[in-house]
Amino acid sequence: MSLYILSKEKLPAFVEALQAGFRVVGPVRTPTGFAFEEITQADQLQLDYTTTILPPKKYFLPQRETLFKYHTGSNPEGAQSVDVEPVFQDVQPTVIFGMHTCDMSGIMLYDKVFSEGFRDEHYMTRRDKMVIIGIECLHPCDDASFCKDMGTLTAPPIYDLHMTEVDDDYLIDTGSEKGERLLLNYSEAKMATTDHMQRLGRVLSAKWPRFRMRLKMSKDQTPSLLTLGYNAHIWEELGERCLACGSCTNVCPTCFCFDVQDELDINMQDGERVRVWDSCQLHEFALVAGGHNFRESKASRVRHRLMRKGKYIKQVHGLSGCTGCGRCERACLVDITIPGTLNALHDEMKVESGV
Amino acid sequence: MSAKPKIAFFDFTSCEGCQLTVIDALQTHLGLLDLVEIVQFREAMSEKGQNYQIAFVEGSCTRKSDEARLLAIREQASAVVALGACAHLGGVNSMKNRWPIENVQTYVYGQNGKDAYESYPARPISAVIKVDAVIPGCPIDRHEFLRVVQMMLQGRTPRLPDYPLCVECKLRENACLNTLGILCLGPITRAGCEAICPSYGDGCEGCRGWHPEANFDYMREILRGHGLSDHEIDARFTMFNHYQMEQMSGHAPLSEAVAPVTDTSLPTSSFAAPKED
Ligand code: SF4
Ligand code: SF4
Ligand code: SF4
Ligand code: SF4
Ligand code: SF4
Repeated sequence: MSLYILSKEKLPAFVEALQAGFRVVGPVRTPTGFAFEEITQADQLQLDYTTTILPPKKYFLPQRETLFKYHTGSNPEGAQSVDVEPVFQDVQPTVIFGMHTCDMSGIMLYDKVFSEGFRDEHYMTRRDKMVIIGIECLHPCDDASFCKDMGTLTAPPIYDLHMTEVDDDYLIDTGSEKGERLLLNYSEAKMATTDHMQRLGRVLSAKWPRFRMRLKMSKDQTPSLLTLGYNAHIWEELGERCLACGSCTNVCPTCFCFDVQDELDINMQDGERVRVWDSCQLHEFALVAGGHNFRESKASRVRHRLMRKGKYIKQVHGLSGCTGCGRCERACLVDITIPGTLNALHDEMKVESGV
Repeated sequence: MSAKPKIAFFDFTSCEGCQLTVIDALQTHLGLLDLVEIVQFREAMSEKGQNYQIAFVEGSCTRKSDEARLLAIREQASAVVALGACAHLGGVNSMKNRWPIENVQTYVYGQNGKDAYESYPARPISAVIKVDAVIPGCPIDRHEFLRVVQMMLQGRTPRLPDYPLCVECKLRENACLNTLGILCLGPITRAGCEAICPSYGDGCEGCRGWHPEANFDYMREILRGHGLSDHEIDARFTMFNHYQMEQMSGHAPLSEAVAPVTDTSLPTSSFAAPKED
């Protein structure tokens, strides 16, 4: 929409002003890296962070979310009764500062998943209160990133504001009226000039060569590669190696599987229904009532994850199921990676077809 | 509601740390005493009621005479719960199973130890009697204890998480210790403690036992990457879980056969004086 400029030294004042009306969340330094946390002091915000263990999805889909509370008792006539009281957890005006473009792509997918077909009021009510301020990545986080392959190197159209560091300034693009209002009301941002726009253009074109490609195929080919490679040998090898630890899915910005449980209080009358993050890499996940497990072997679970990331999600929601953020690769202790797997599959299929 | 269910606590070979955790839990969650009546609890009271429905057993079975006591508890109780790693797995007590029992007796109790103190290889109580539920850990987690009691009172079967500790560790957003040069057995250990040790910077030692899909081969690879010898890795694998490793030895998760041991001596003791209790 419109482009504004805010000098870097004016950023803390913007953060502090926002704190009056919002919970402000952003990347902060931890003993070993960075994490998204609530910002209590403006100087905690580290916009030049690399990556975080958990993506900001934890603010959009809490790890443990109460859906409703219930109370069982008996009415005056002695019949059993159940009162149900819906709960909307963690709904509060929140500004998420400094989301990388890959993580914004993850939220764009969530927005579709939780609103299309069955509309998830718990997610949507929380989402309505969220303001997303993205930050343009000028360097890859590390060697595990493959955002360039996945086409997430630029901001998807879900941000309210999107910032790019240009020398001593941030050039800020407004993506929504809400974002623009916040920027004008809470900061000293000014309209950018043609000169600023040219400088922004130079910074953006200079970033492209810094990112490497890691896939031996284009992302548009992954659905057919996965279809044809469904019975490939690599799945068995990967299954043997996999620790079934679920780390790859817990850290993934596009995973959204959850488990729903009822928890009864110690008084045995009150309780709540909660949903918690779940993982398709765990043995219990595919265990349905009656004890049949649809994906008993680890090999079939690893394959299932790759199928979701590279094919199914795209087919159902029209967006890639992988943002190339590299988190699963950083988290896996036995070096099972998306690019490594797709490339190995690519090689195996090439040999099979004798090309 | 009818009369409150009666529960009782028993200890076998253990440090009583798990019972202390129960006492803690009773103090922080007073509501529990509205739901049950405790009829036997040596750590906390002197009365000894023999009429109980749920028996919580701490400690492992480490001598022949333990068996009759366990069988008597099983006979009386409608449900038996193993309390803590000693009862659940054999626990640290089972480390002694690495050596012939006579050597251990002499080492610990002196030259007359063999005759003065009865002992045999440590086992979980499930090796002797049927166990209905387990509260793992060394020591147990008080919240898990409360959860299990509650579920049993509701007539539900408490289930343990059957996935690895890494799940809980990642949810707490811990940097992985194995990538920071600190050994951690989280990938093969059953979750449920909220990854308490890694969250404080200590690697997991596996006190909750293994999860059903524990991948020992690749766990071994990870530990080799830390520079550990196979012998040292075996020692890690058997710290709490010697009995389990023995049971699995057909699948050779250890580099050396667990029993019988070839090196029958014990490391030289720096406190050679026989201990009298
Ligand atoms: S699959 Fe891996 S690289 Fe792709 S979005 Fe998930 S965590 Fe990131
Ligand atoms: S992180 Fe690696 S080892 Fe763990 S479940 Fe995922 S692929 Fe398997
Ligand atoms: S499991 Fe640990 S804390 Fe509990 S009794 Fe045994 S040694 Fe003590
Ligand atoms: S520190 Fe231990 S429990 Fe945590 S992720 Fe690493 S291996 Fe798993
Ligand atoms: S982290 Fe490991 S050693 Fe520590 S309490 Fe949990 S299971 Fe036991």
